[in-house]
Amino acid sequence: MELTINGRKTPVDDAAIAPEMPLLWVLRDVLELTGTKFGCGVAACGACTVQVDGVAVRSCVTPVSAVAGKAIQTIEGLGTADAPHALQHAWVQHQVPQCGYCQSGMLMAAAALLKKTPRPTDADIDAAMTNLCRCGTYPRVRAAIHTAAATLRGGAA
Amino acid sequence: MKVTRRFVVFSGLAAAGALVVGWSGLPPRSRLGRADLLPAGAGEVGLNGWIKITAEGLVQLAMPFSEMGQGVHTALALMAAEELDIAPGRVQLIAPPRDTIYGNVAMFAGSLPLHPTATEPGHESTGARLGQWMVRKLARELGISVTGGSSTIADSWVPLRLAAATARAQLLGAASLRWKLPVAEFQIDDGVVSHAAGGEKAHFGELAAAAAVTPPGEVRFKPRDQWRLIGRPQPRRDAAAKSNGSASYGLDTRLPGLLYAVVRHAPALGGVPGRIDPAGALKRAGVERVVRLGPLAGSTDAVAVVGRSTWHARQGAQAMEIDWRGRPSGALDSNAILAGLEAQARAAAEHDDGFDFYSRGDAAGAQSAASNRLEAVYSAPYLAHATMEPMNATARFNPDGTVEVWAPTQVPDSARDVIARVAGVPVGQVLLHVTLLGGGFGRRLEVDFIAQAVRVAQETGGRPVQLVWPREEDFTHDFYRPAGVAVLRGGLDAQGRPVAMSIHSAGDAITPRWMARTLPALAGPVDMPDKTTAEGLFDLAYDIPNQRMAHVATRSGVPVGFWRSVGHSHNAFFSEGFIDEMAHAAKADPVAFRLALLAGMPRHAAVLQLAASQAGWGTALPAGRARGVALHESFGSIVAQVLEVSVETAGGNPRPRVHRVVCAVDCGTVVNPDGVTQQVESSVIFGLTAALHGRVDIVDGEVQQKNFPDSPLLALRESPTIETHLVPSTNPPTGMGEPALPPLAPALANALFALTGQRLRNLPLKLA
Repeated sequence: MELTINGRKTPVDDAAIAPEMPLLWVLRDVLELTGTKFGCGVAACGACTVQVDGVAVRSCVTPVSAVAGKAIQTIEGLGTADAPHALQHAWVQHQVPQCGYCQSGMLMAAAALLKKTPRPTDADIDAAMTNLCRCGTYPRVRAAIHTAAATLRGGAA
Repeated sequence: MKVTRRFVVFSGLAAAGALVVGWSGLPPRSRLGRADLLPAGAGEVGLNGWIKITAEGLVQLAMPFSEMGQGVHTALALMAAEELDIAPGRVQLIAPPRDTIYGNVAMFAGSLPLHPTATEPGHESTGARLGQWMVRKLARELGISVTGGSSTIADSWVPLRLAAATARAQLLGAASLRWKLPVAEFQIDDGVVSHAAGGEKAHFGELAAAAAVTPPGEVRFKPRDQWRLIGRPQPRRDAAAKSNGSASYGLDTRLPGLLYAVVRHAPALGGVPGRIDPAGALKRAGVERVVRLGPLAGSTDAVAVVGRSTWHARQGAQAMEIDWRGRPSGALDSNAILAGLEAQARAAAEHDDGFDFYSRGDAAGAQSAASNRLEAVYSAPYLAHATMEPMNATARFNPDGTVEVWAPTQVPDSARDVIARVAGVPVGQVLLHVTLLGGGFGRRLEVDFIAQAVRVAQETGGRPVQLVWPREEDFTHDFYRPAGVAVLRGGLDAQGRPVAMSIHSAGDAITPRWMARTLPALAGPVDMPDKTTAEGLFDLAYDIPNQRMAHVATRSGVPVGFWRSVGHSHNAFFSEGFIDEMAHAAKADPVAFRLALLAGMPRHAAVLQLAASQAGWGTALPAGRARGVALHESFGSIVAQVLEVSVETAGGNPRPRVHRVVCAVDCGTVVNPDGVTQQVESSVIFGLTAALHGRVDIVDGEVQQKNFPDSPLLALRESPTIETHLVPSTNPPTGMGEPALPPLAPALANALFALTGQRLRNLPLKLA
C-alpha cells in the first residue's frame, strides 16, 4: 500500500498492517510519525486529529484503507522548523502548550478550520474545536487561532 | 494517656529520624553535590552536582524534576540563568544520576499538619520550626526525587540557585587568577566574563577547567534588585517543540525491534482472571504472545497481549476469552461507600470522635451556647485523573545485564526501585529515561504501569516492549481521588459573629496506601495520621475563637491516590461553601464576612481584597448573573477567586455557565509570572471539569465511566474568561501547580446560591 503523507508518497509494508487498521497506528507504530497522539481510541478527544484532503479527521477511527490515494497531512507537515505555520507561530506567541500532548490535534483541527473559515468568529471556534485538553489551554487556543487567522489574512484584524 | 496530634506527629518523626539519620543539631546536609557527580563528556567540566559547563560555554543543568505541563523546566532554567548571567536558551537540561542531593525536601516538609497561623513566613511558631527542621533533615537523608505537591520551585529555590551562584563564583575566581584582576571589576554578559578597562574576555567554557579547582570563596545570591529574568514573564522553553509534534512523550519512545503490549484488567476493581484462553488472541496476525501479570506496585491482576503494533496487541486483547472472577472480598459500590462515609462522619460529629487535627477553645460548648446554629453535610465523589497521555512505559533487557526503561513518571527513584525489584537486578543496573509527561496530576506518582512493562519485557527475549493502557483501562483502574463526606457545624452570636465551627469528616487516607505501593521500604506497620485527609479543613485561616476538626480515616477498598490538590480538592469545597452559609446566616456580605475573620492574616486578606476589587465585587451585574467568592490556601500559596455565573437550559435541564473567573494569588516571589498565569488557567479549567462533570461511580465493582464520552472534560466552548492578578511579595516562592484549583468549586457553588438560592453541597454540582 502507498500513502501520501505530507506531500510525500510513502510505501507501507502490507504485511505490517491490515486494511481496517486505523490510520493513527499506521502513522505512529509503522511509520514512526509520533507527532499524532493516541488519547481515547473512540474519536472523543481529538488528540489523533490529522487532515485528509484538507479536512480534520480523527485518525484513531479512520481505517487506513479509507485514506489510500488521499492527501494526508500530519503535524509533522503543518510547517517546518524554518517556516512554521502561522498557527504554530501564534501557539508560541500565546504560549499555548502546557503538557502539550493534545496540541498536535488542536493545531490540525485549527488549521482545517482556517482553511474553511479564514475569519472565524468565537462561535465558529467553539463549533470546530471540540478537541479535549486536560491542562486547560482553551482560552489561549482561542486567542492563538484569532491571531493566526489575522496573520494568514495578511495582518488585517 | 490521650494521644494528641502533636504527640503522634513528633514521636513518629523522632523515631523515623533516629532510625535513619541519628539526630544531631546540625542543619540538613548541603545539596550542592560533588563536581564529578554529573558524567562529563568531551570538553565538559562539572562544577557541582547541578552545573556543568561545555567547551562552547553553555551551561548544563541537572534536572531531577519532571515536566508535565506545569512549566518547571522553564522556571528552573531561569533560576540558574539568572544567577549565572546567561541567556536561558543557553542553559541545557540534562538527566541527573541517582543521588540524594536531588531528593525533594520541600514536599515532605509540606506533609506536616501545621496550622497556617504557625507557618506565616517570618512568624513561624517554635513547634513548626522544630517539626520542619526534623522533616527537612530526614527528607534530605532519604533524598527521594519526586515531582509533586506543588513543591518543585519551593524545593529548588535555594539549592539550585546556590549551585549556580557557587559556579559563578568559581568562574569569576578563575578569571581573577588568570588575569590578576579583582572579581569586583568583572562583569558577566550572557556567559562571557569580561573586564571593561583591560579588555580581557573569556566565555564560561574557557574558564571552566580552572574554575573547577578554584574555591568559590564567599557565595552570595544575586540581589533581588539586579534580577533580569526572575519576576518577568518568560516564554516556555518547550513551546515550539510542543507545537510541531517533535516533543517526545513516553508513548513516543521508538526503538529498533520495538514490540507493543496492551493491558487488560478485570472489569471490576480488584477482580482477578480465572481461566484464560489465549487462543483467540494468539491466532490473530501480528499477535506474538500473552503474558499474565500478577499484582505489581498496586496494580491488580491483568493480562498483557504483545503484538507488532499497539493496534494488533489491542485487537488480540479484545479477542481473548477470560473468565474474570470478582474481588475476593466482595464487590465495591460507590453509593454504599458514600452512605457509609456519611454515617461515620455523622457519628464522629455526634460523639466528637475522629483523629484530632485541630482544636482551639471549646467548639462544642460555644456551639451549644450560640444564638444561631448551622449544620450541613457536604460530599464529594471519587475522581479519575484522565491524563491525556494514557499510562505507558517502555522496557528493554540489554545484553550487558542492564534493564533500560523509558517512562513518563513523577517518581524516578521509586521507578528505579520497582524496575530493579521486578527485574531481579541491583538498582545500579537500571537505566531510567524520564520522558516528557502528557499530564501527571498525581497519577504518575504511581509506578504500577512501569512494573508491568518490565514484567512483560522479561518475556520478549531482549526485544524492547512498549506497554500501553487503553483509555478504558485508565478510567476503570485508576488510583482515584477518594470520596469524602464532612459534617460541618457553625455557631453565630447575636451580632452574627462566628463563635464556633466544628468539622468532622470521613474518607480514605491516601498516603499510607501510596507508601505501600510506591515507597514500600518506608511504609510502616500501622497507618500514621494522613494530613491529606484533613487539609483544607483543619488549616483554615479564619479567626473563629472555638474550633474543632477531626477526621475518621476509612479503608473502602477502592484504590485511592493523589489527585491534583489532593485533600484540598474537595475539602475547600466543604469549608468555603460552609463559610458562605455562615455569612448568609449572619446576613453579611460574603467578602466582608471573611475579611472580618482575617484581621490576623494580612496576606489572606490582601488576596481576597485584590480578587474582590478586580472583579468589581458589589457592583451591578446584568440580570441573570451573580458572583460567588472563595478563598483558600494550599501548598503555601493563597488564592482567591470571584466567579460570574448564569444558568442556561440544555435539554430542559438547568446548567451552570461560568463567564468570568477573577483570580488573585500570593505565591511568594514569582519566578515566571506567565508560568503562574498558565497554571491558574489550567487549575480553573481542571476545577470546572470536576465541579460540573467529575464523578466516578462504582456499581457491582465496576467503574461506570469508561472513556471520555462517559466522563466529559470541560470543552473549549464552555471555557470562561480567566484573569490572574499576582500580589507582589519578597517571601520565598511557593508552588502554583495546584493551589488555584480548590477555590473553584466553592466559588461556583456560592455564585449559584447567590443566583438561584439553591445551596449545592454535593459534587458534581447539579441544579434542581
